[in-house]
Amino acid sequence: MSKVIERPRYVCALGGAIGTIQSLPRAIPILHSSSGCGGNLAGALSGASGYNGGNYCGGQALPSSNVSERDIVFGGEGRLQEQIENTLKVMDGDLYFVVTGCMVEMIGDNVHAVTKRFKGGELPVLAAETVSFKGNSYYGYELVLETLFRDFVEKTTEKDAKTVNLWGVVPMQDVFWKGNLGVLKNLLKKLGFETNTFFGQGETLDNLKNAAKASLNIVVSDAYGIEAAKVFEEVHGVPYLTVQLPVGDHGTSRFLRTVGKALGVDDIKIEKLIQEERKAYYPYLERLADVYNDLDFQRYATVVGDPNYTQALTRFLADDLGWLPELVVITDILGEEQKERVLATFGDYESGLRPEIVFDEDASSVGGYINRHWPQNQGQKYYKGFAPGVILGSVMERDTAEQFKAPLLPVTYPISNRVVLNRAYAGYTGGLTLAEDVLSLVVAHR
Amino acid sequence: MDYIKHKVPPVREDRLMACQAYGGTCGDLSKDSKKGCLYASKRTFSQTQGCQLNLSLGMISSMRDAVMVIHSPIGCGGNLIQNAGINKVFQKLRQESAVGLRWINTNLSEVDVISGGEAKLRQAVLKAEREFRPSAILVFNSCVPALIGDDIDGILDDLQKQVSAKIVPIHCEGFKTKIQATAYDSVYHGLIRNLVGEDKGSKPEVVRTLEEEAEHQAVISKTVNLLNVGSMSRIDEEELVRLLKALDLNVRILPSYSHPDDFTYAHEAALNVSICATHDDYFVEHFQQMYGIPYVMRTIPIGIANTNKWLRDIASFFGIEEQAEKLIAAETAELNKAIEPFKAEFKGKTAFLTGGEVRILTTAELLHNLGFEILGLRGYHFDKYGEILLDEYLEDVPNSEKAIFNIGSGQVFEQANLLSKITPDLFVGHIGVNGSAAKQGYPIFPLFGQSDDYLGYKGVFEVATRVSRILKNPAFNKNLGSNTRLPYRDSWYEQDPFTYIDDSASVAARIG
Ligand code: SF4
Repeated sequence: MSKVIERPRYVCALGGAIGTIQSLPRAIPILHSSSGCGGNLAGALSGASGYNGGNYCGGQALPSSNVSERDIVFGGEGRLQEQIENTLKVMDGDLYFVVTGCMVEMIGDNVHAVTKRFKGGELPVLAAETVSFKGNSYYGYELVLETLFRDFVEKTTEKDAKTVNLWGVVPMQDVFWKGNLGVLKNLLKKLGFETNTFFGQGETLDNLKNAAKASLNIVVSDAYGIEAAKVFEEVHGVPYLTVQLPVGDHGTSRFLRTVGKALGVDDIKIEKLIQEERKAYYPYLERLADVYNDLDFQRYATVVGDPNYTQALTRFLADDLGWLPELVVITDILGEEQKERVLATFGDYESGLRPEIVFDEDASSVGGYINRHWPQNQGQKYYKGFAPGVILGSVMERDTAEQFKAPLLPVTYPISNRVVLNRAYAGYTGGLTLAEDVLSLVVAHR
Repeated sequence: MDYIKHKVPPVREDRLMACQAYGGTCGDLSKDSKKGCLYASKRTFSQTQGCQLNLSLGMISSMRDAVMVIHSPIGCGGNLIQNAGINKVFQKLRQESAVGLRWINTNLSEVDVISGGEAKLRQAVLKAEREFRPSAILVFNSCVPALIGDDIDGILDDLQKQVSAKIVPIHCEGFKTKIQATAYDSVYHGLIRNLVGEDKGSKPEVVRTLEEEAEHQAVISKTVNLLNVGSMSRIDEEELVRLLKALDLNVRILPSYSHPDDFTYAHEAALNVSICATHDDYFVEHFQQMYGIPYVMRTIPIGIANTNKWLRDIASFFGIEEQAEKLIAAETAELNKAIEPFKAEFKGKTAFLTGGEVRILTTAELLHNLGFEILGLRGYHFDKYGEILLDEYLEDVPNSEKAIFNIGSGQVFEQANLLSKITPDLFVGHIGVNGSAAKQGYPIFPLFGQSDDYLGYKGVFEVATRVSRILKNPAFNKNLGSNTRLPYRDSWYEQDPFTYIDDSASVAARIG
């Protein structure tokens, strides 16, 4: 049985789907749901994601059939048909995407039957049953990608060996998604590849439409987007590779080696790129040589969040910064198989560190794990606890951070005490940004 | 009004014949509303809005020492996520030791949808009790448990025997109504049924001597409940408390940021004072019926005219008119002098307002008083309370019958179209629609905010200074206006903004 969750860090499949669609260029989500669903999800999508805003069509602009009691008794398909027709007249988009809320799923409306009537029209109308009692935001992301890959990406026999697709960085749930996608795209460019990220800066729906030409799909996650990758492979015959979100030198060098190898890039070329990037990276870290040591900047750390970030942050803190990120709390709902895959990403540290990893969805549990990992002060005179400590997590760790008098850097969703525009934590440059942000916390009170 | 014995309050469509889709002028609306045929209108194209659950949470999630249980699939209550971690700041304004928001979602899955969510509800309530030991557990139910037929009240009655926190069920299924304001009734319904009254309190009964009792009654005879459901900031509260204290009254503020115990003796008051009928009519009417406590609810104290009306209503109840007149005279004289320079500054400027019916009509009056011409209004919904205020507004503000009146919560496509046609100098908007107007380049004054004051005499001055400041440099929104685009076709702006309001049912009712 699924668990009740104290302060979940995600919303329902519908919410994840809306966040995903509204991050696509000129795509218009059409909600077939109770009138409140969209409004209820707006704050989670925008306010909790570093004030991400609604992009082109989000927030209260979302078209929604707003079914109420009457439709629920008589069925909402007629209302949906009317809503789609009029949406095409009012809303200016290149792609329309119907997603469903719990109520209409429960009354059994057949959205596919309705959207089929718009097939062959001037504008594409897709649909996914985002059955929200079946999964959370990540499931919604997955469903939308699957539908796009099946119904929107054009079939082709033409292949382009120098083009790849990349996903797994979930818009909104990764608060820094836009910046991160840009960084990853740039890195792959340096390896000699063009990358479709679908959601990235400057891309259009054509990047998505023509995605079947790619030679490889790179899923930057061990938890999200893998099912969609399987669909892509099945429909378009493009294989996929999963890699971890890279932050800093150690993570990113691994990323380049893994991806480069899969793409058949010459080892020498990969190593040359890594050396070049390091040449730009370490002179910045070098600036910290005095201060890091004079002021003893090493810290214990607790890392809280989703699997993508927790592994990336932990590796960065351990191997790049030489910290002691000894405790990791992963807050997603994961299946056993997923858990194993995710666990495997926390290893092979250059520094030899072995963090304790726990899976727990409840926000308030974090403090308990910190107390368990670093024993509590029982009033003894000589005592060593979580100090000096830093927490990398979300804004939900605020109380916990206060309790342990440790500074908190919100990196994982939700973030409502920072404004995020194009900041990125991925890659070598992202590592430097992260070093700036986390060390600024350490010096903030000087 | 006598709905308290029912498990669930009626929806506003039924109780108040509230209308949620209309387009016309203030004059038209005043007439059409009196014919009583507006409520049946609907939209053939709509955008999303909030629901009862959202608003219920917005209204009462600030309660201190309480844990919320949201009985739903994982998405409902999603808006709370943006307040997790920051809400505490506001709670602390009332109580230093306040903790942040705490809630549990029952995360209903497919299995629960088939076999019922009751076990999960139990699990959640017990978890709330075990982990946090709160004074109250507020249980909100969403669409899904209603549809699968969970016996929520039965389970909660049973659980109440096992936990020491007061359990407060708040029935707020979203699909039942398109009038979000029904949420106010749902929350008050739960609070009245479960927290009000000495028998519901957690502390032992108070025993008083005869003299003590007399003294106590004397205090009660001068005590008012000032109702705040979240649209008054702490500074607003302070201003209203200042004015009521000047009339020698004691003030108890409910229900936002309250503690569950604050309700135990809520019926020990001489008068309920509301700042908005949309918020409070359900509460005050029941209190009158159940405890014989009268109320004041005509208007919100925004702007000089409405603040005066509000104070006079209260004073006349206590028979202290003279004292009130003195206060009003002193306050308005001082204030009028202070706002004089703004009147010159705002003369000839135009404004458009959107938000709750009571709030926008009174804020429009305030702006009019400061020199603005009001081009139009958009209300979330409209009912008999709006009708009374609108008629007063039409009387107080010359030439206002031609101004636009549009009804609809959200529906920013209608707003965008309207704005492109009437191009006001200032847009005043409720949270949720301001971003849309900003992208059209308008300077925006937010209709309310948790850190600013709007109410009473001080509010008038503060509104004037903030509006003046905002108009001084609207560059940010201007840049947005020239560099961003709203997601509507150009052809939409050429159409009648009310194209998608279908009032055929009401037209038929009117003719037939
Ligand atoms: S009713 Fe279902 S779809 Fe709507 S917000 Fe709640 S969980 Fe999401």
